[in-house]
Amino acid sequence: MTWDIFVALLAATVLAGTPLLYATMGELVTERSGVLNLGVEGMMIMGAFFAFIVQFKTGNPWLAVLAAGLGAGGMGLLHGVVCLIFQGNQTVSGLALTIFGVGLSDYLGAPFIGEKTVGFQPFDIPLLSDVPFFGPVFFQHDPLVYLSYVLPWAVMWFFRRTSLGLALCASGESPEAVRAVGLDPVRMRWLGIFAGAFLVGVGGAYLSLCATHMWTHNLSAGKGWIAVALVIFAFWRPHRAMLGAYLFGGIMALQLRLQALGTTIPSSLMMMLPYLLTILALLFSSARGKGRSAPAALGENISPGA
Amino acid sequence: MEQKRLFQAQENGKAAPALIRLDRICKSYGSVRANRDISLEIRAGEILALLGENGAGKSTLMSILSGKSRQDSGTVFVDGLPAPFRSPRDALAAGIGMVYQHFMLVEAMTVTQNLMLGQAHGILNPSAMRARVLELAERYGFEINPDAMIADLSMGERQRVEILKLLYRDCRVLILDEPTAVLTPPEIDQLFAALRRMAADGRAIVFISHKMKEVLDLATEISILRRGEIVDHFLRADVPGERELAERMVGRQMDVAVAQSPVEKGEVLLELSGASFGMARELSCSLRRGEVLAVVGVAGNGQRELVEMVTGEAKPEGGRDSVRILGKNWHDFMRSRPDRKSMVYIPEDRKGLATCPSLDLLDNFLLTNRNGFQNFGFLDRRHSAAAAENVMEEYQVVADGLHATAGSLSGGNLQKMVLGREFFRDPCLIVAENPTQGLDISAMEEVWRRILDARDHAGVLLVTSDLNEAMTLADTFAVMYRGRFIDVFPRSDAAKVASIGLMMAGIPFGEEDGRKEQHHEA
Repeated sequence: MTWDIFVALLAATVLAGTPLLYATMGELVTERSGVLNLGVEGMMIMGAFFAFIVQFKTGNPWLAVLAAGLGAGGMGLLHGVVCLIFQGNQTVSGLALTIFGVGLSDYLGAPFIGEKTVGFQPFDIPLLSDVPFFGPVFFQHDPLVYLSYVLPWAVMWFFRRTSLGLALCASGESPEAVRAVGLDPVRMRWLGIFAGAFLVGVGGAYLSLCATHMWTHNLSAGKGWIAVALVIFAFWRPHRAMLGAYLFGGIMALQLRLQALGTTIPSSLMMMLPYLLTILALLFSSARGKGRSAPAALGENISPGA
Repeated sequence: MEQKRLFQAQENGKAAPALIRLDRICKSYGSVRANRDISLEIRAGEILALLGENGAGKSTLMSILSGKSRQDSGTVFVDGLPAPFRSPRDALAAGIGMVYQHFMLVEAMTVTQNLMLGQAHGILNPSAMRARVLELAERYGFEINPDAMIADLSMGERQRVEILKLLYRDCRVLILDEPTAVLTPPEIDQLFAALRRMAADGRAIVFISHKMKEVLDLATEISILRRGEIVDHFLRADVPGERELAERMVGRQMDVAVAQSPVEKGEVLLELSGASFGMARELSCSLRRGEVLAVVGVAGNGQRELVEMVTGEAKPEGGRDSVRILGKNWHDFMRSRPDRKSMVYIPEDRKGLATCPSLDLLDNFLLTNRNGFQNFGFLDRRHSAAAAENVMEEYQVVADGLHATAGSLSGGNLQKMVLGREFFRDPCLIVAENPTQGLDISAMEEVWRRILDARDHAGVLLVTSDLNEAMTLADTFAVMYRGRFIDVFPRSDAAKVASIGLMMAGIPFGEEDGRKEQHHEA
């Protein structure tokens, strides 16, 4: 009995961690290219909205995911216009995007509140899903979850084994060095912003297509902010980001279950748990050391012609 | 294949044809004409030295050649064909690579990753690249660990990585901007040997410097730049001599370098006994009034930490009595305001630590001299303006009046202003960090003279990575290596003074016998 609950909890952990994983990987890619993006929350909820509306109108969930990615990517490009073309303040631009995204999705989505949609349905991976314990925890979910398993490794491979990934990371560390070898660091940052925002959008799509299957008010509920913190917690490393996302997913799943079990702890306190953990995680990761520091040029704009 | 072609070029003609020809290059920044009608040829197999003072236009010229900036007029010819460079990429494609004074490396990546950046395409093969790095390094006698993080490397090693980057691209022309500034003497020897080997391979080396001795050591051709123009060009064999070379570079009869004669020494002002902080370990020495104590060493060997302790930015780890200033322990001294005012600090970072670049000269003057210029807590600008103007006049600061921003001044003028401001207080302990870095000869001599004059009423702790500066000013030397004083000795100890270079590389006096001969031969 308790074993079943435990397995169910872990399966729920994976589900709750997946949108965080997408958003965290997105923010990680952007930050590695040297751009700070505090608009994750806004991009995520816009992604959720685009996904919902496209799913609602066309019934094709893959088209919906693409729309979410492109929609959030479009917001990323806006961030790029401010930070890469006009050398604006990255922090301010990101905050503005969050406010903008949350507000706009609320406004556009108002008529659809409560509308249900199909989205993705779980399907069991043959053979693997029959493995005891691992099957139910990892292999009885929907396709976006399966894709997310590969994502951190793909990003890591991109950073380490492709010239484009190397140049992208170098642009976040030392744009002058990139320019000195004849590459354009600004172009790398455009890539980082767009690709990162795309992933954040997919994270948003997960919320409306897989988690809730409906549109409702405040769907992202601060998950974008948790993703920003998770990047720091992960020391900007993809595999650690995966760990972090599931850790937070676990806390979220746990607090839901504890509420359902009817504990005497007030639910508002329980709902604070993930954010409390965010603060703790940031505290612990502030002990900086070798291989833990932020990209050296993170948040610094590249002056043209320098 | 490239290699082969270069060899042939060298064998066929007696004087190799020019790889690069600059034809009447002009470049202005605002009203400053940084380069005027510069024509120059760069030949394979030659080591061309560009000799000139700071601000003579060397770096401007080389940034044009490396594609970093564009000339206003004039043409760069590569292999006889005009080559309009729009970016470093174009210059690199033409085989011209530059090692900047500030290295362009990604510190959080490994040596191999830095070499792959921009040079390998598509999917990377780090292990093949690693092997290639080792092979290149071996060919030119560089010791380098391809898996080391750049952040963990010494300045000399980083420079090797920069050079390897260019060799990997098979650059035909290597430009090095002040390459010896960050190296220890043995590292300089290694670098020169490698550069000679590259020239022998048929590459052209361009070497920017303002140090006469190095230029005479290494160059096969010498061009002298002065105020944006090439004033002289020599083949090595025709060079008239160090002194004349220097005169042509400066364009006037040079004052024989500032001469140091000891003044009477007074009481002990600063005493370190086993002082430690961060990298600086167990430093012991003392400084008296009338004395210049020069702490020499390659930058980054703990000098920063030493200065931080003495100026009160950092608390000594070895207890309050390990640093005594003006007869008081560190704690008491730092807490007493009048005492602290009698110590001045002239930081290396002129536009950051020493001054606020966006404030005007008067405000900058008031930053450290508020005493006497206050009325009930308000600043008295009238009197302070008069005082600041006096200082500007006395120190011959060239600026657009008192209301020019500090950031608009040239390095030399700003440094003179900082000196004037700090000495205005009649300090009795002066801490100066690389006070002449980046200054031209005349400003440098002026600063040196001021420091020597200050000995009448003060002791000077001079932290410098310029050996020449230490030799000119010091009464006592303390050589710093990896956070420790290798040795502390007076100017009169000629034998030790002669081996400072080796001490800077961590070899204590008396242990270098075997190496010394080797060093002298090199």
